[in-house]
Amino acid sequence: MNSKYYLSLLLISSLVLIAFIGIAFNRELNPEWKRYQTEYKEFLVKNATDDSTRERAEKIDIGMKQVYIKSLKRSDRCVSCHRGVENPLMADAEQPFRQHSGNYLENHPVASFGCTACHSGQGRAMNTREAHGEEHTHWDFPIIPSQYIQGACAQCHDYEMLRKEGGEKVAQGEKLFSEKGCRGCHKVDGKGGDLGKDIAGMGSRPFAYFSMKHVVGDHNLYNWIMQHFENPRKVVPDSDMRAFLTSEEAELLTNYMLTFRNEEMPRNYTLIKNIILPKTDGESLYRMYCVACHTDGKESIYDEIFERTIPAIMNPAFLKSIEDDYLRKIIKEGRKGTQMTAWKTNAAGLTDEEVDEITKYITRNRPAERPQHFRYKRFGTDAGKGEELYKLRCALCHGDKGKGGKRLLGMNLVFKDTDPEFLAITVRDGREGTPMVAFGKKGVGLKDQEISDVVAYLTKLSRNK
Amino acid sequence: MSNKAGEKEKVSRRDFLGLVAFGAAIIGSISALAGSFRFVKANVYSEESKQFKIGSIENFPLGSTKKFDDKNVFIFSDEAGLFAISAICTHLGCIVTPSEFGFQCPCHGSKYTHDGNVIGGPAPRPLEWFEIKQEVDGTLTVDAAKTVQQGTKYLFA
Amino acid sequence: MNNTSKSGLVKYRDNLMSIKSSFLGSFLRSGKPTSDKSRTAVVVNNFFLHLHGAKTHVNSLKPTYTLGLGLISFFLMVIAFISGGFLMVYYSPATETAYNAVKDINFVVFGGKLMRNAHKWSGEAMIIFVLFHMARIVYTNSYKRGREFNWVIGVVLLILTFVVNLTGYMLPWDQLSYWALVIVANIAAAPKELTDIFGVTQYFDIGGATKEILLGGTEPGQDSLTRVYLLHIILLPLVMCIALGVHFWRIRKDGGLSKPDNVTADGTGIVNISSPEKEGGIFPTHKTYGLMELAKGRTPAVDNDVENTVTSWPHLFVAEIAVFILTLAGVIAYSYFVDAPLKEFANATIPENPAKAPWYFLGLQELVSYSAFMGGQGLPGLAVAGLLLIPYLDREEEHFGVWFSNRQGKLIAVESLIVGATAVIGSLAFVINFGWFRNWWPNIHQLWIIAINPGNLLLGFVVAYSLFVIKRTGSTRMGAISLFTMFLICYVILTYTGTVLRGPNWDFYWSASQWPIH
Repeated sequence: MNSKYYLSLLLISSLVLIAFIGIAFNRELNPEWKRYQTEYKEFLVKNATDDSTRERAEKIDIGMKQVYIKSLKRSDRCVSCHRGVENPLMADAEQPFRQHSGNYLENHPVASFGCTACHSGQGRAMNTREAHGEEHTHWDFPIIPSQYIQGACAQCHDYEMLRKEGGEKVAQGEKLFSEKGCRGCHKVDGKGGDLGKDIAGMGSRPFAYFSMKHVVGDHNLYNWIMQHFENPRKVVPDSDMRAFLTSEEAELLTNYMLTFRNEEMPRNYTLIKNIILPKTDGESLYRMYCVACHTDGKESIYDEIFERTIPAIMNPAFLKSIEDDYLRKIIKEGRKGTQMTAWKTNAAGLTDEEVDEITKYITRNRPAERPQHFRYKRFGTDAGKGEELYKLRCALCHGDKGKGGKRLLGMNLVFKDTDPEFLAITVRDGREGTPMVAFGKKGVGLKDQEISDVVAYLTKLSRNK
Repeated sequence: MSNKAGEKEKVSRRDFLGLVAFGAAIIGSISALAGSFRFVKANVYSEESKQFKIGSIENFPLGSTKKFDDKNVFIFSDEAGLFAISAICTHLGCIVTPSEFGFQCPCHGSKYTHDGNVIGGPAPRPLEWFEIKQEVDGTLTVDAAKTVQQGTKYLFA
Repeated sequence: MNNTSKSGLVKYRDNLMSIKSSFLGSFLRSGKPTSDKSRTAVVVNNFFLHLHGAKTHVNSLKPTYTLGLGLISFFLMVIAFISGGFLMVYYSPATETAYNAVKDINFVVFGGKLMRNAHKWSGEAMIIFVLFHMARIVYTNSYKRGREFNWVIGVVLLILTFVVNLTGYMLPWDQLSYWALVIVANIAAAPKELTDIFGVTQYFDIGGATKEILLGGTEPGQDSLTRVYLLHIILLPLVMCIALGVHFWRIRKDGGLSKPDNVTADGTGIVNISSPEKEGGIFPTHKTYGLMELAKGRTPAVDNDVENTVTSWPHLFVAEIAVFILTLAGVIAYSYFVDAPLKEFANATIPENPAKAPWYFLGLQELVSYSAFMGGQGLPGLAVAGLLLIPYLDREEEHFGVWFSNRQGKLIAVESLIVGATAVIGSLAFVINFGWFRNWWPNIHQLWIIAINPGNLLLGFVVAYSLFVIKRTGSTRMGAISLFTMFLICYVILTYTGTVLRGPNWDFYWSASQWPIH
């Protein structure tokens, strides 16, 4: 009747059940954090210098510890292992017992701030691996390595204060970003170029957002950003980013990138001591938006990545021949078909005043002597002849239909609002200091009528765009 | 009830009452049930609008690709104009990623050309193209609720 | 009782002193089960126990006959319900807090991780054991003699098991949950493929309507989580309990568990004990093992092989408790070592790659990767229909309750296993190497793919082969064995394919170590 069989089965199963419940209980009652807390308590008891200290040490209760901060929506349990984080006696201890470095906790007490608001990591976890967000824990925001931690400070503090009081790295990163022309391609707060990704939320990107295929070391956001600064094309193979940064600069900029978070701190946490007015002078604006491609504007640069020549916009010959209005127009409308962005307000976001300032800066060293007028309008023109001449004389450098690019020496010549007068003067006189020679009397020897025909052809191409 | 052979049976009052009573009960129950089913269909959906602004034409230089992550739409710009392609795979709704042949869906391997045509995998339809409108002030709005024919590219000033 | 012999206060005191026995007596009306009569009385008189028969046939207690599979499935459900109830103490069904609640259960609740693991693994183990139980029913030819409808209830329970597992999977609101919901909602909308083709979607969008009712919108969000939670904790368990109640009731009324017609008291060999013949009685063809049966006629209908039954108390209950503790021990042991997965917080813009359904649906996901409608609704629907039809298409009386019926049955099972495995592996190999219609003719109309795809062809082959078996052997029973075996091996191999052999972008890889890094 199988009773013996079932009774034996019952016995064995019950023993197995008891065994596993037993070891499960044991696992619950002896977790990693308990060992740390016990060690901490024992250390304090042993090293107590007097009776009252020893009594207090003995009264330390061992249990799960949590800092719950409703307005920050955080439940940080780091203190379950890092029990000594606010204890001066632990200043020289090993982790996880060590006191927090510096005097940060004076102004940022654990009870009001928790830990993860600055350090990231998985505050809810109760074991080292998952709390630190190590690889394969499926936590998007591991603990920020100490070299990038200042990125967290900017959630509440202004850069003027950070520059002076403990946020030097991130303040320098912010400065670098403004001076290396990063906004030439990347938008920040809606202003900037469109060639690269908008920087908003860069510090809050989840793990799967970027491809980590080429990242060396731990695969996380911080290494991605750092290594992308050091060598953009290694991390993003089809990137067009022009970045020539040292490792130190890359580290400072990484700090800055981590300031761009999706969530804002509540009003009672932010502490803006200094209102920093944005820089409005031409030089700062030029450095913010133009310098990455145009550098000092003195020479035309052939860029390997863009496969295009970047014009020398502070070349004296260029400045001599260009009218301010025309220059402003080029800046505002950009040059379609090239990497030159449209900078007007409803495109890349610069105000008219800002464009004015940049123009003034670019033209500040304009030579006093202006070129002779060409007076293009007095000529009747033949665009057909111009086309032939173009193909003969200009296409070699400026390419088919004036588009430039494609590893050619010359820049693109097609622009919606092109100024024929400017074109004619440049063709006639060349642009000294660049490969563009004079094609007029002083150089190759083309007659003014011929030059007008070529300009007519270029104007026709521009209008057809 | 009484009936002579061959005569039509008459419905008695009790039978009639029974029929009507049960009939009414059934009708009542069915209507209550129908009402309950209607209850389940939500009248308002807590979702963001499917029309959204994307900036102006200058924000999309020639040859550029932009993805609006939270709206799951790609915006492309080429010589023929600006166009918006949905990033939502037509098979079962995963988000496609750009690849060298066009788009690739991670969930069941659907592959699309750069125009959104299906060249592999179980997707039943090409990726949807959306309408792009230009507002009075020149800014552009994508309408993800309005599908346009594949290949519709917009030239804006 | 002569109430003048005692005073009122004495009576009161006497009653007070004898409360223990009078309470126990009021509660346990049959007294201690010391005789066969009192043992049977305990079963019949007890609310919780009286679903069981007072006596149980020895064959039902034979572990190698039933393998305890039905009991294990039931106990897994009980464990899932109880652990689920405990989890509800901490879970919060809101998109902002659900994930953190599950994290807290794992990290800070005493026994939380174990409880969550137990809940998940008992739920998923239930799928395996329900399938095994179904297989036992098929292979022991038990879906006959009035048990046909109980089989139907069983198939309903199978579907409910899958769906309750799936809805539970969506509750943590992590990446796995979110994308499972997206895919399931779109599978629910799959009929739209057909209505689009016939141009009737604007009048009759059954696909879109189903999707929107499930999601509470057009996209997954809070309303979806609320509805999924409702399904998972109330609607589905309620329907399961009702179906289970009917399932157990039918076991009793159909004459207990199935058994071969010739069973001896010691369960060995074949002895000529004739089938019980009853005259009269409410249930002429079945037996009940109750103490009494309502009968027409003058003599009570007594079953003839009473020597092959034992009292349920204690024999059946010892067996049940043993199986329960075995199940619980297995769940706890597994839950101690293996953690239920929990990935990153749900992100609507970044799908997983590969985005895999829970393992029990990976076979279906493989089919869905050929066609959403056929893989998601058509083929499962046809498979369920096929299962439901088994007891109605095979009505042969012989070999009731015998494993594999006879030698031929065993051979057919092995043959069908091999044929089925070959068919499914062959189809997979073909599709993996050569693709399908869309790869060869990119502009082909979707209707061709819905009509002719590897899943359909496989189903067609399985049906055709089982018909061939019927013709060859002249027996519908052999056909049933063949069909079911092929269904089972296809499910197993497809599940294996979806789990192990599919990597990022649903491309084929021999193992996960070969997957490219993203």
